[in-house]
Order: sequence, then structure tokens, then C-alpha cells
Amino acid sequence: MKAVGARLPRYDGLAHITGRTQYVDDVRIHGTLWTKALRSPHHHAAVRSIDTSRAEALPGVHAVVTAQDVPRNVYGHLEALGVPADEPLLAEGDVRWKGQVIAAVAAESEEIALAAVDAIDVEFEEREAVFDIRRAADPDAPTFHQWGPVYPHFGPHNHRRVRKGDVDRAFDEADVIVEGVYRPQAIEHVPMETQVALAVPEASGRLTIYSCTQAMYFSMGVVAAHLQWPLSKLKFVGGTVGGGFGGKVDTATETICALLAIKSRRPVKWRFTREEEFLVSSTRAPWHIELRDAVTTDGWILGRRTLTLHDAGAYARFSPYGVTKHAFHHTGAYTIPNVRFDGFVVFTNRVPTTAMRGFGVTSVSLAVELHLSRVADVLGMDPLELRLKNANRVGDTTGNRVVLHDPSTVAVTLAAAEAAGHEVGEEYRSMTSDRRTGDLLPEHLVEQQAPEGAHMATFDPTLTNGGGH
Amino acid sequence: MAKHRGRGFSTIEYPTGMNQNGDPTQAWIKLKPDGSVDVFAGTVDIGQGSKTVHTQIVADALGVPYASVTMDNSNTDSSSICTGTFASRGTFIGGNAVRLAAEKVRERILDIAAKELEISPDDLEIADGEVLAKGAPERRISVGDVAAAATWSYGELISGHGTALKPLAEVDDDDGSVTIEPHSAISYAACVIDVEVDDETGETTVLRMLQVYDVGRAINPTLVEGQIEGGAMMGLGLGLLENSYPYYPSVEHRGEQFGSYLAPSLEDFPVIENVILENPSVDGPFGAKAIGEMANNAQPPAIAAAIHDAVGVWVTEMPATPERVLRALEEKERREPRREGKRVIFDEEISVAAVSTNGGEAYWGVHG
Repeated sequence: MKAVGARLPRYDGLAHITGRTQYVDDVRIHGTLWTKALRSPHHHAAVRSIDTSRAEALPGVHAVVTAQDVPRNVYGHLEALGVPADEPLLAEGDVRWKGQVIAAVAAESEEIALAAVDAIDVEFEEREAVFDIRRAADPDAPTFHQWGPVYPHFGPHNHRRVRKGDVDRAFDEADVIVEGVYRPQAIEHVPMETQVALAVPEASGRLTIYSCTQAMYFSMGVVAAHLQWPLSKLKFVGGTVGGGFGGKVDTATETICALLAIKSRRPVKWRFTREEEFLVSSTRAPWHIELRDAVTTDGWILGRRTLTLHDAGAYARFSPYGVTKHAFHHTGAYTIPNVRFDGFVVFTNRVPTTAMRGFGVTSVSLAVELHLSRVADVLGMDPLELRLKNANRVGDTTGNRVVLHDPSTVAVTLAAAEAAGHEVGEEYRSMTSDRRTGDLLPEHLVEQQAPEGAHMATFDPTLTNGGGH
Repeated sequence: MAKHRGRGFSTIEYPTGMNQNGDPTQAWIKLKPDGSVDVFAGTVDIGQGSKTVHTQIVADALGVPYASVTMDNSNTDSSSICTGTFASRGTFIGGNAVRLAAEKVRERILDIAAKELEISPDDLEIADGEVLAKGAPERRISVGDVAAAATWSYGELISGHGTALKPLAEVDDDDGSVTIEPHSAISYAACVIDVEVDDETGETTVLRMLQVYDVGRAINPTLVEGQIEGGAMMGLGLGLLENSYPYYPSVEHRGEQFGSYLAPSLEDFPVIENVILENPSVDGPFGAKAIGEMANNAQPPAIAAAIHDAVGVWVTEMPATPERVLRALEEKERREPRREGKRVIFDEEISVAAVSTNGGEAYWGVHG
């Protein structure tokens, strides 16, 4: 029997639904200490002093860590991709969002840990905060990030840009220009399993970290970078996660557990409360997208002008990656010959935003698709006919010059129309994703078509260097 | 005061693998002396079912029963690198890694079987755990006997490893162009949503979602449907219910409990119809592309378009809460687009130009 294509039950499904799967929170190690964090009560403040001596003196407290205990405190999630580091593991000098971790304690019980957090003395000097990305780069707006109001490292630019064709000419030649603003919101990941880790010092001198991460090697790299340890001294145990949706790429608890375990020489566990999961774990980013489409009365999209603002929260995390991905997909499933896109990563004093299902694209899909529904309405055209007409075809080139070799925009759209009983005209019913010819290759799209047979590198078999032995 | 029905559409695309690539997954496989197959890969199963899908891929790439394959993704000592479970990369990239490892193992099985059967490995195939001579299936040896021979006679651990890696696609910072594909594949979907809007309360109910997904190849159709339906509910949350900052950009009044944060639940579940199209990718495992992330992207714009179809107002700030729908209905005339020459300008009040103190010079003033 072939396994591929079969409706096999989940490999681990029975264990999940009968409660027999071992998640991080189910691991029991003798002598484990509890962790609690001291978090910023302010959206933006200078930290004038931190005094942990009262907390350290409490009976049952085994370790307290602040920025000074971290071998390399600053970290950047995308350093491997050339994005500089900007975020401290433990706040140093200032706090930039309400809930930012300033210190953490490991104690014999949750109650003692909470009491110890209360016993840490911090002097703050509150500062003005910024929350509206539309105003964050205004001359009179408060700034707090060392890079200024927006992420400045897209090569020589402070924004991700896409430029193709002659947008001004497209707007001159258009019959109608439709302009709209789209604001997809922040949401929570809401996993059943909150952020959790357990760090166990081994007799060998290694550290075993039980983790709910979605990416064991990535998170191991994060911990190794903060500790300045080689990977040989770390072992991550995980692989089974109680819901992630992107939020568990953040490595929220592992590094602080590791620091406390090293300092206390005891196993240390940190499990976010549900309130922490909602309020201080990262969210999907809010976005602000302005689209202007230059269209003809018969429904061709000649050009698009896009301004995107991405609300990063207080630090960069994965935001530059998300905006680049967003830029690459800002024409959606359609071929638009003239585009000008500017996308900014804007810093605000809210919880840093992060990856979430559809990262960078969920936002632009909302904007593009809702905008097309509006364009169809303005033109008095069927919304699916507008989409089918402009849908990308084999050989078409995208805004960032990708040559498409197997688009199925036409196929999925026609299948949806048929299943829903939505009538489209005969000329649309017979459309396919084949290379454009005739009426589907108007003058403005001729240059968008790559030569027959031209295609870009797909999966490179020379890199699939699996050795037998 | 009445309830109005409306229909909205969307068509979307979504890439497989990390944007710009450069994200390897590696896997390795060994055989136990009885022919049991042990797969080691670091791909985290976040509930989407990657362990199941990878096991299916290995079973068929080797030609052995699904039940003889064990998947271990439990730790970084025994598993090789997987960049992570994100970017809809588990089936395509993780799946290719285990497939390539399985193909190496298959070669070793055939080599040893060839010695035992005294037939060239080119003339052998593997099916259902048996190595068979092509055209003469009575000449056969089980994979278990091959593994035993390797262990006890030839002194070999049958093993193999595989890496799936597409090189980094550099992006031109001036114009955004790339010279190699910045993804592994692209999946496509279309969505039709029917809603009912109550013009007295502003409440929108999704009655029906019809969704078509091209996933290349459904390795496990049940799991694909699980992604589609789970994603549909997240999309419904995005479209109608969820908001970390109910008064965004204000940070006040955040929900901190299940009771004060509106995630969709079973009572919100509409009629969901799924159509799976299979337009195989040229280089995914068995033609697969991806389904994971895209499954919550198509619904919000289709819901908002359906609301317009029902009551004639555009809600473009998400989610389309009763309050927002009611406000849009109340301000319907004022919110009609401004027409200036051939420009049709919607949503001016919430634009950067209107809210910024200097017209958004820092953003709109970009040159070049």
C-alpha cells in the first residue's frame, strides 16, 4: 500500500488526545526551581538603578540575574541574514515596552519567586511613549530606539523597496486610480501550551534544555550566542509542541532558564502564566497599508503604488524579514507591470511583534484582495472576472523579477466559482494558466513575459549532498 | 432593521520555505538489523502533523510499510539541523530532506540485496518491504533479511543522510529584484465566503466558507483538510473577532484571559467546504508544495468584501467588529470615496497623510 496520499491517522494523535504525550511541562526533574521575572511597569522609561540584594537574601532564592549576568546581552534574531543586533535579553539602561524583562529569579517555589521579584528595587524615570506608526517618524515624535523611528538597514535605505517599470506613466495612462487604506490588526497566537522551558545542568557540564520552541537548532543558536558557548555544551529536547503558530520561534524562556540554571547549579523551569502569554508574549504585527491602483475601464491593472508601515513594537526581531516577504508578494496572484513599493519597519513602545502564520503576507493578502474587490466595484466589473483577467500566467514575471513556472491562480479561481455556482463569462470560463497569447497579452504585458522555456533555478540537486556512507 | 446576506471572494498565493531561502533541513536514516527504519530529523511537530507526513514520505521513498518507520525529532544530539517549523517549510523542505536520505538508504538496500540475490541492483525494485527482481518477482528478499545480512555478514550499518537547501537569494536593495527564486514553491488558493450582517447590531455571521487550495500533492489529505479548516477558523478570527489592541494604536484594554480575548470557538464554525487541487511542483517531495500558513490568509478580505456585498460599506480596519460595521453604516455617506479627476480616494481619514503632523513626509517623501 502506498503511504503518500493515504488518509493515515496522525503518528502521535492517539497520545495527544489521551493525554500521554510528554510536553515540556510534564517533565519532572528532582530539585527543579521556579522562575519569575521582574517586568517593566512602564511603556518607556530610563532605568536609573537596580538593586537585587533584598531578593537575593530571601530564604529559598537560589539565583537572581540581571543584564550584568549575561555574557552577551544583546541579540538580533536575524544576525545570520545581516540584520544587526538591537535587543537586550535583560533590560539595560532603559525599558521600551510594558512587560520587558529586567531581572529574573530562581527559587524553591512559585510563591518565593514572586516574593523575590517584589523585593527587587528599581528606580525608573518615565519617558514619553509612541504608539501610532503613522506619526512615529514625525519631527515632533518621541524616539527611543538607537536606530531612530524606523529600521534603517535595508542596504543603503531605511525602507524595503520594489521598483519596476514606469509607475508615473501607468498612472498617467490609467482611466481610473483607486486608492485605499488597509489596517490588519495584531492578534495573539493563543497556544494551549504557554511559553515554557526547563534547563538542567548535567554532570558532564552540559546543559539540557527542554523547550517548546518551533525551531530547536535556531533556539539553541540563540542560547549559545547569549552564553557564548559552543553548541557541544547544549542539548535541546523538544520536537513536540502544544501550539506555536509562529510565536514559539521567539525563544522566550530558554536563555533566562539557562542563565539561572548555570548560576544556581540547579534545574530551573519557567512557564508563562496565561496572563503573561496574552500580555507580554509577542503578537502578530499590526500593519498599515496604502494601495493606489492605476486601472483601465475594462479592468487591466497597469500599475500599483504601495506604502506599507509595519508596527515592529520596541525591537526589530523578525520584522525586516517580514517586510521583505511582504514586499515580494505585494502584487498578490496577479501580474502588474509597473510597481513602486515602499515598506517601513516602524518602532513603537509595544511588545515586540513577531512571526505568525502567514508572516508578512497575511497582511498584504488582506490589502490586495479587499482592494481588488473595491476596484471591481468601482469599475462595475465582476470581482472574479477582474481577478481572472489579471491573474498571473506561466512565464509571467513578478514585481521582484521572479519568472513563474507553475501558477494556478486561474485554476483555483475557476474551481471556486464553479463550486459556488458563481457565473463568469464564457471567455473567462475557458481561461487557463498557460502562457499569455492574443487578448490576454496586451501591449502593457508583453515585456512581463519571459522568453519561452526561460525559468529560474528551482531546487538545486547539487546541494542535496546526501551521502550513503 | 434587517439581516442582509452577502458574498465575498479572494484569490491568494503563498510561498513555501523561508523568503530568500538559505534554510537547510538535514535528516538521516538508519536500519535496525530486522529492517526497521529509524528516521532522525529536527523538524518540530507543532501540531500540524509533520511527523506523520515525513514518515509517509520515507515509507514510499524506500518502499517499506508505513508501520516499519519510526520518526525521532526529539533532540538536537541525535537529529541534524532543521532551520525550524515556520515559513510553511515542513512538508517541502523537511520532506525533501527525509526523501533524499531515504533514497540513499534505498541504494544501499539494493546493493546488498543484489549480492544476496546475485542480480544487478538496476534490475531490482522495492515494494511493501520486499526487494524484487523486476519481471521475476519470485526472486525476492525482504528488507529485513537485507538488513540482517548487512549487520551479520557484510559488517555494514545501512544508513543515509539528506540535505534540502536552496541557496540564499540576494535581493537588490534599490529595486527589490532577485536573480534566483526566493522560495521553494508557490501554493495558490481561492475562497468564497457567504455572510449575514445584522444592520441593527452590526454583527456579522459567516454562514459558509468554500475554499480551493492547490497544494501540489496532498501527502495526507486528512491533515491537509485539518490545516485548511484550522486555518479557516484563524482567518475568521482575523476577519471578525480577534484583536490584541481593541483600541489600536492605544495599548489600553488588552485581553489577558480567554474570557476577555475573542478567539473563535466551535460556535463560530460555519459550513466549510474544501476542494483540494493537485498541480504538482517539479521538485517537492512527491510533488507537494505547502498548505500550513496560507490557510488563514484568504478569509479576512473575503469576509470584508462579503460585508460590503451585504450592506454596502467597506470595513478595512480589521477585525470587522459590530462596532466598526455600525459606525460604517452610520457614516455611510461621509465615507463615500472622494473623487478628484480620475482618482477615487477611499479611507482618507485614516491615512498617513491625514494623521501625521506633516503629511507623512518621512514615508511618502521617499525619493528614487
